[in-house]
Amino acid sequence: MDTYRYAQSQALFDRAVKVIPCGVPGHMSPAVNIPPSAYPIYAARSEGARFWDVDGNEFIDYMCGYGPMILGYGNPVVDEAAQRQSWEADLTMCASPKMVELAEFLVDMVGSMAWAFFAKNGGDVTNYATMVARSATGRKKMVAIKGGYHGVAPWMQALGHPGVLAEDHAHTLRIPWNDVGAFEQVIAEHPGDVAGFIATPYHVPTFYDSELPEAGYWQKIEALCRKEGIVLILDDIRHGFRLNMQGSHVHYGFTPDLVCYCKALANGYPISALMGTDTMKNEAAKVFYTGSYWYQAMPMAAALACLGELKRLEAPEWLLKQGGNLFGKMETLAAGYGFHLKVTGELSMPNVRLTDDPSGMLHQAWCAECTKRGVFLASHHNWFVSTAHDEEVVARTLEICDEAFQVIKEAAAQGRQAS
Amino acid sequence: MEYQRVKANLNLHAVLRNLETLVACDDKAAELIKSWEVTLQFSVLRGPALYLEFQNGRCRAGEGVHHAPDVRLFFLSARHLNRMMDGKASPIPLKGFTRLSFLTKEFPKLTDRLEYFLKPDEALLADDAFCEINTRLNLGVAAYAVRELATTDSMGRLNAASMPEGTLSIRVLPNGPSVSIVKENGGYAVGKPNPENPMAVMSFRDMGVANDLMNGKCDAFAALAKGDVSMKGKIPMIEAVNLLMDRIPHYLG
Ligand SMILES: Cc1ncc(COP(=O)(O)O)c(C=O)c1O
Repeated sequence: MDTYRYAQSQALFDRAVKVIPCGVPGHMSPAVNIPPSAYPIYAARSEGARFWDVDGNEFIDYMCGYGPMILGYGNPVVDEAAQRQSWEADLTMCASPKMVELAEFLVDMVGSMAWAFFAKNGGDVTNYATMVARSATGRKKMVAIKGGYHGVAPWMQALGHPGVLAEDHAHTLRIPWNDVGAFEQVIAEHPGDVAGFIATPYHVPTFYDSELPEAGYWQKIEALCRKEGIVLILDDIRHGFRLNMQGSHVHYGFTPDLVCYCKALANGYPISALMGTDTMKNEAAKVFYTGSYWYQAMPMAAALACLGELKRLEAPEWLLKQGGNLFGKMETLAAGYGFHLKVTGELSMPNVRLTDDPSGMLHQAWCAECTKRGVFLASHHNWFVSTAHDEEVVARTLEICDEAFQVIKEAAAQGRQAS
Repeated sequence: MEYQRVKANLNLHAVLRNLETLVACDDKAAELIKSWEVTLQFSVLRGPALYLEFQNGRCRAGEGVHHAPDVRLFFLSARHLNRMMDGKASPIPLKGFTRLSFLTKEFPKLTDRLEYFLKPDEALLADDAFCEINTRLNLGVAAYAVRELATTDSMGRLNAASMPEGTLSIRVLPNGPSVSIVKENGGYAVGKPNPENPMAVMSFRDMGVANDLMNGKCDAFAALAKGDVSMKGKIPMIEAVNLLMDRIPHYLG
């Protein structure tokens, strides 16, 4: 088939770089796509599992806006609830009753959590969680995982990045994933000074394979936190509601003190939440934390509708099964061409990578060839499945993947690399 | 003082050793040294050492101590060397007194020529031939500086720790200069140009793009997005190297 061209995207980008640093800054930057010329930069329209760029090219989206989209773009139930709320009252001079309803809904649904606090972005609540942990314990150090991502506050960013001071990291201790011994060691090195431990349900480092928790890992971490009075924070921002509606901690069988939610909470409407156990409630109440738009009622109404739909559809179970179906077939397709597709992490948001070339260039070429034909695949990050990724979408995805495998195979036979 | 120590390493191993490249690509520099038959040793007390062999119209740089240099220039401290590079101090000649006039009159002509290319003004950069030499030298400085920063700068060591092992090829297309940076068994080295089977490749569309980027005249993310700069392979290698390169002006800016 003809591959896509991106003249309009590129023309817009030329305008953008004149007035916006980087043109498109942050995680949506085209610079992360390899090569950027294979990818669209601006989207014009979206529906279900698909979006259309400004050039009119159609894509099945396996990034789901980096996770927020879980019920398909333009989900009528969520969008209607949001619109109704925006007509009634969105941001006013008082909190919305929807905030109470949403907190009650979440407390009812999420295992062991007794309260909810709302903000906008994931980083708002991971940062709040660390403040609550420090306030509650009177201690300074936060233990996090090497390669773990929790947002963009200076303490969360990698040291050495522009604008980040060594002092910003003075109280963040990074240890390897799945390494209980390393946690014991930092506790011993900082006696009585570790306030919290923060990690995602399983490890999803950018550019690398995902890693599930080893058997007993979370239980050992939990036991150490209890013994040492350390606040256990689960960053469920990316994984939340893709593994278990009661929370990913229920999926893996442990109880955190604080849980952070964001991405799939409202199918794209801007809202995040920090939840906590009963004992953390007064501690959270002491920490002043707020923002101009955090009381917007529209995303709260959207979240209620989204969570209701996710529950009704038993979305996590369905996504895990559909992921198994899709990625299983994709692996078989790859094998038919003599390629090895490695699928790591849980199947509702796995990391998928061709391992046949250690540099990763072949995988980058394959993702680019898929994207240029209508299946948007990032080569550096885990992918996401939504409930809109139905049989028709899976079938079309596999057709395009198949053609892309052919293209990279032919290129390899000619001693060159596609894309 | 870490700052002085790191700066001295960069001055010796990234800047001064670049005389080798300068002589190879600039006719005027080649003309200056064509009759030089001398080996200069630069040594910092409890610090880095570098020697430069001038012979048959060529310059060869070597790390560490030469077995029989003609001239030995000694620096009491890293700071002493850095002040010499800034033109504010002189080395202590321990050997080669008969060459003092060479040191005070001839050799500075070559280092001035290096400075002429490394600290350019806008008007000079508009000239293609100048631009090419500036780019070659900057690439050389960058490659060796990355190695030094990855090993001697405490922040640089942290950034480099996350760099995967393998060879990163950096090249200016279509057939401009190329350097490579190798990480192997936790050690860092500058490898040969255009290596085979690199783990990662960063390429500049042409000399102009490379030059603009190295002189801080354009936004790297925008350049990447437009394909003026491209990368493939193990991107964390490139990210780590870029962070290290970002630290160069902190010492040599
Ligand atoms: C696990 C995790 N935590 C935190 C964040 C930060 O969320 P936000 O970008 O909304 O601040 C992200 C975003 O990708 C994430 O994946």
